[in-house]
Amino acid sequence: MGEATPLWAPIALLGALCALGLAAAVLDAVLSGLPTASHPGDAVESPLRSGPLSAAGDPFREAARLLVQQRRRTSLADTLLVRVGVCGLLVVAVLAGVVLPLGDRPVADLAAGVVWFNAMEVGAWGALWLTGWGANSVYPLVGGYRFLAQGMAYELPHMFALITAALGAGSLRVGDVVAAQRGLWFAVWMPVAFAVYLVSALAMAFWGPMRGPVGPDIAGGVRAELSGPDRLLFQAGRHLLLAVVAAAAVPLFLGGGAGPLLPPWLWTSLKTAAVLALLVWSGRGLPTVRMDRFMWLSWLVLIPAALAQLLVVAVVVG
Amino acid sequence: MEPWAAVLGLLGVLAAGVLAVYAASFLLAPSDTLEAGPFLSGARPREHALSRFHVRWYTVTLLFLAFDMEMVFMYPWALVVAEVGVSAVVEMFAFLGLLMVGVVHAWREGALRWA
Amino acid sequence: MGLSAWLTRYAAARPRPLVVTAPHATRLRLLAEAELARRGWRGARSPAGADLLVVCGTPAAALSRAVEVVWTDVPAPRTLVELRGDPRPELVTTALDGAVDRLADVRSQRLDAAGRAGARDGRHGPAQPYDEHDGEHDDGEHHAEHGRHGEQGGQEHHGGHGGQHDQHSEHGGHGRHGEQGGQEHHGGHGGQHDRHGGHGHHMGNPGGVPMAERGRDRDGLTLDRLHVPLGPVLSDWPAGLVVETVLQGDVIQQARVEVAGGLGTERFWDAPWLAALEGRRVTRGEAARRGAASRLDSVGRLLAVAGWGGAATEARRLRDRLLWERRDEGVPEEFAGFARRVRRSWLLHWMLRGLGTPGLSPGRSRPGRDGVAARLDAWLDETGRALNALDDGSPLDDDAGPRGPVGDRPSEALLSALPGLLTGTELAAARLVVAGLDPDLDQVRPAREASHA
Repeated sequence: MGEATPLWAPIALLGALCALGLAAAVLDAVLSGLPTASHPGDAVESPLRSGPLSAAGDPFREAARLLVQQRRRTSLADTLLVRVGVCGLLVVAVLAGVVLPLGDRPVADLAAGVVWFNAMEVGAWGALWLTGWGANSVYPLVGGYRFLAQGMAYELPHMFALITAALGAGSLRVGDVVAAQRGLWFAVWMPVAFAVYLVSALAMAFWGPMRGPVGPDIAGGVRAELSGPDRLLFQAGRHLLLAVVAAAAVPLFLGGGAGPLLPPWLWTSLKTAAVLALLVWSGRGLPTVRMDRFMWLSWLVLIPAALAQLLVVAVVVG
Repeated sequence: MEPWAAVLGLLGVLAAGVLAVYAASFLLAPSDTLEAGPFLSGARPREHALSRFHVRWYTVTLLFLAFDMEMVFMYPWALVVAEVGVSAVVEMFAFLGLLMVGVVHAWREGALRWA
Repeated sequence: MGLSAWLTRYAAARPRPLVVTAPHATRLRLLAEAELARRGWRGARSPAGADLLVVCGTPAAALSRAVEVVWTDVPAPRTLVELRGDPRPELVTTALDGAVDRLADVRSQRLDAAGRAGARDGRHGPAQPYDEHDGEHDDGEHHAEHGRHGEQGGQEHHGGHGGQHDQHSEHGGHGRHGEQGGQEHHGGHGGQHDRHGGHGHHMGNPGGVPMAERGRDRDGLTLDRLHVPLGPVLSDWPAGLVVETVLQGDVIQQARVEVAGGLGTERFWDAPWLAALEGRRVTRGEAARRGAASRLDSVGRLLAVAGWGGAATEARRLRDRLLWERRDEGVPEEFAGFARRVRRSWLLHWMLRGLGTPGLSPGRSRPGRDGVAARLDAWLDETGRALNALDDGSPLDDDAGPRGPVGDRPSEALLSALPGLLTGTELAAARLVVAGLDPDLDQVRPAREASHA
């Protein structure tokens, strides 16, 4: 265990994650409104027509709508399981975040920080599956199972990508991984690991091309029956998870807070925002990867590629 | 503050936030719960949705578990590669190679075939 | 209460619509989609995520019951917009403006919520009932009430209903019975789906619905089977199409196509060719415009099902510009860029490869001539060609509509091919196969409807 954590750190972490998650939601809403931006008003005028920037308010309106929405329950749903799942998503996102440095120090500077990060985020499997199972409805159930399949596909490449960064630093402490990148970012000399990490990050947050578990083709999948506060917290958890996986890319592959002129916390924020923007964009810019194809891709392409990258790093280090 | 206390505090704040959302909904939303049917494109269910899925997950799970156990060795391995040197790399990748042979075999047997 | 009212009004400004379209209401759907896109309202995928139900056209009995069921499951605040009759843009604009007002009406939304929560015991209709006003498509039974009663299986629900309801509750949990009432009981039901075993399970059925029955699956194991209809209320789905499936896990074991019809006769996409066949003067340019829009509509739907939201929006935007704004400058160039991006997406082609090709196992086959990927390619080609002919003033003298010769009603053949293509596919693949065929149910003859609905 490292030195004492300042009192503000947990609050700062939570605040930062919420801000990032909200930013992701706003960016996503604006992007979804973009292609209609140059929309000449034709036949009829209505005060309710609006430009793409008004879409920026969508996440807030959606939150308001869900807060005043009548509570709804599918017949014979296991509400407790659904709630455990919904809240679990938030918990795993936040717990995974405690080892990430805010500027120069994390909330908990664990010696096995990389393992902790990995262990916490896997909790999303349980959270999502419970949410899907609890509703007693076909589409959430299919979505939940899809996520399990997706999990078994992305998790190994993900772990190999993490271990590659840890191997490069010779330490499982996130702070040491950052320190090991003083000369050269890991993203530069371990590009395959970084790419694999980004793919697995999307899969973990079931976002963008990996949104299968909440896909439009199965009526929203896991969240098909969620409404009111449950839906609000589920969406919040999903965005927090996306924020955390984007934030983790920075200490692991992008040199953490290192950079000229600006203070470390600002560099961390800028790099995180850039990764997050990339991940959010993928939601509009790429089609969804079907689970069966991803299973094949993951086991026969991503894992060998990640292992080859690991071998290169091991040879350099060893 | 000790790190574990900080983590506990973090969870506490999170729990407070979650409770606040439920409390806000309790106060702001209509008090009556709507009992709805599951979404089936406008039909009503003919049976409960909870059902046993097909076996494909379990074959992949076995494959996954083999690798997952291997990760238990890999985390400590990553710490000592620099000290032990070439022999550590050779041993680990011989092991990984064997596992990959298993993956290829499973793939040929159709374990990754989905529908 | 003040805060709640404020939040309700704040949220009401941008509802989450779920759009249902009846056959023969394509024009209304397109107007509605264009207007929704203009407002930037993001669509919902399920009743739980929606607060606005938009019904385009006049559903016949089966579809109208489906709409009723979905409407019942939308939590308050909610509102219903029925677009019928004269398909003018003003109609859509006014209706959607009205929806915002009703969503912001805190008092009536509260009453709606209270009225429906009480309905669990009494089963009274919702406070804002889905209105089957014109009796012409009501075949004399009270479908709405009916469906709810049968379905919630109610030994508890005897009191106060007509003899018909009692008769149905004898079936216990047999949900579809109550709901499908009347003419829906054609022979195909029990036989194909083997669901008679469910009849006797009165006591052991939690909530009045039986547990899943079992059947053999691909691997020769005996697994649970679920009866899951795809459509008619489903986003990015052909209007009026119902695919009754038997699912094991997420794999379709059996599929049967039905049609949930709508009133009317209009065949929007084929209209220029039909008019030319009747001897009216239609220019080739006009037909090319309709044809290009039709293919862009299909492309947009396929891309939306494939999860590529950005490209789907682009396709639909181009479609709307061709159809409603008629400002063609820049459209061919923009389309060329769009088509290039779609064609170059290896991810999309990898996802579509091997789908919808009969006789070849998905994922292993080489792209066939009539697979989903090939059809997407053909749509893009045809759109490009049609866009070059927008200004052609010569009279139209062929019958080559967007889906083939309009006289042959090619969508009927597509529907017959569908079950074979869907059997054995996983749900995601099945959705792509349907979107790749994109049958136009406006083409389907009422005769077929009667035997299948």
